[in-house]
Amino acid sequence: MDFKAPVESYAASVREVTLGAGDKAVKIGGETKLAYGFFDEGDIPNPPKLALEVMDTAPEGWAEHFLEPYRDVLSDPVAWARKALDYGADLICLRLISTDPAGKNASAESAAETVKKVADAIPVPLIVYGVGDETKDAEVLPKVAAVCSGMNLLIGPVIKEDYEPIAAAALEHGHCLVAQSPLDINIMKELNIKLSKTFPLERIVIDPLSAALGYGMEYSFTLMERTKLTGVAFKDTMTQMPLIGDLGSECAKTKEAKTNREQGILWEGMTAISLLLAGANIVILRHPDSVKNVREILG
Amino acid sequence: MILIGENIHIISKDVSVAIRERNARFLQDLAVKQTEAGVHYLDLNIGPARKNPEEMVPWLVKAIEEVTDLPLSIDTLNPVAMEAGLAAITKSRALINSASGRTDSKQEMMPLAVKYNAELVLSVFTDKGCPPDADSRIESIMETAAYANELGIPNEDLWIDPVLLPISADQAQVGFDLEFMKMLEDAVPGAKSTIGLSNVSNGTPDHLRGILNRTMMVMLGRYNMYSVIADAFDKELIAINNGERPDIIDIVYKVMDEEEIDLSSLSQEMVHYVKTAEVLLDRMLYSDGWLDH
Repeated sequence: MDFKAPVESYAASVREVTLGAGDKAVKIGGETKLAYGFFDEGDIPNPPKLALEVMDTAPEGWAEHFLEPYRDVLSDPVAWARKALDYGADLICLRLISTDPAGKNASAESAAETVKKVADAIPVPLIVYGVGDETKDAEVLPKVAAVCSGMNLLIGPVIKEDYEPIAAAALEHGHCLVAQSPLDINIMKELNIKLSKTFPLERIVIDPLSAALGYGMEYSFTLMERTKLTGVAFKDTMTQMPLIGDLGSECAKTKEAKTNREQGILWEGMTAISLLLAGANIVILRHPDSVKNVREILG
Repeated sequence: MILIGENIHIISKDVSVAIRERNARFLQDLAVKQTEAGVHYLDLNIGPARKNPEEMVPWLVKAIEEVTDLPLSIDTLNPVAMEAGLAAITKSRALINSASGRTDSKQEMMPLAVKYNAELVLSVFTDKGCPPDADSRIESIMETAAYANELGIPNEDLWIDPVLLPISADQAQVGFDLEFMKMLEDAVPGAKSTIGLSNVSNGTPDHLRGILNRTMMVMLGRYNMYSVIADAFDKELIAINNGERPDIIDIVYKVMDEEEIDLSSLSQEMVHYVKTAEVLLDRMLYSDGWLDH
């Protein structure tokens, strides 16, 4: 008797989000089935994108093997971004660590200026991550939005405490937003509902928080998978956004990654591949070798 | 449905202070207000009652019986406190809330139902915790009820509690209780049933708890839930239970039956009941903003 493999088809799709403006534009999402479900009906029009991190100021406390690829550009975010693209990144994620109130506490103006320089200098869309402080981000990110008006950056993270001013500025100046929730699908949905009152759903990307391998990655995996299922199979319009896996910095924090170069790079690659299988549309990586490794596995 | 008023509850700070300070007036006031609201039983949730239960519980029972004729359910897992309460009740047959399939409960709590001729809430818990789905809960309760029968407690005196968990913690669990209720009559014929209704909305913003509780009550009622432990001060809940809101019952049943519903033809109140039923049936992902979406 012939075996006939069951073929699923899905009722809805992930929203397609366009990042960047003009000829820099890149599309993410848009799939009408689950990630890597090549055996099912539906399309995956936009394969996942690999982003490399760039710091807006020279980082402190990084393990030597994460600094080494960028040794000569650590204090020059524009040169760092170009180098990351040379290493094969699809997108750049600029982190505004200089604005950390517990650190340099740089002004919104100076951070926004750096963002503009980097965004102007690279031929791909720019992701901008604030430092994660709800008060400071609410100052810095609207300024970034205004200074880079019309460039359609992907700006975040917005959380339920600070989304209002950031969303207002992103709307006015034509950017996309990263909506971040603390590993909880119910809170994720609630934030998207709140954003949807004023902000277009087709410009939201979900960051559900990505834990590193060995440090809770399976929670992130399950959550991403469930988010995609709820959106694509159960047609929930509030979970149909593309997903971003911000995992590079999480992996680099682990003792496994800090203490051993090879192990660290594998740690990041394994986490990235896992979350891509779960449905991440963008992964943010730290080490350039991870871009090569992940691409090789994805084929 | 029999309503058991839950408002004398140790988790409430005011109640906890009143019990500690032996402030009978405050607790009597709560009992009178619940009685006037129209509930049929009063639950006295005294928690673990580790401190001096032999004195405290009889004091509480006496104070409450002074102001109401409603039957009482003593709500504690401490068998010493339970026995002190049962011995003090004079006006009507007591309800033990609760025993379970746990070994300590079988040994220390269940015999009190025989000794004091009390009725008994029996939950699906076992030594392994809360069974994960409807089938395993039914299996567990059949064993536990059989044990109670051996002690001489008939099914008619058992109030079976399938255990309701917060929707914000585990959305799928809610449906298991409905499945459980469909099977209960065959599993433990003649038994009554009850459930901690407000638990479903634990963790939900306060102003949204009522509609979750009420919708859940309507759904459970459809499968012959005999009673619920509920907020006596939710006037709409009482009205639904008194048969004054057939429109709400009708719309919730329609959602349960997956009938086509034209939301644009409904009042906002009815739309909210539709959405809440969808969420409770796990057809729409829960979030605190479920009514806004």
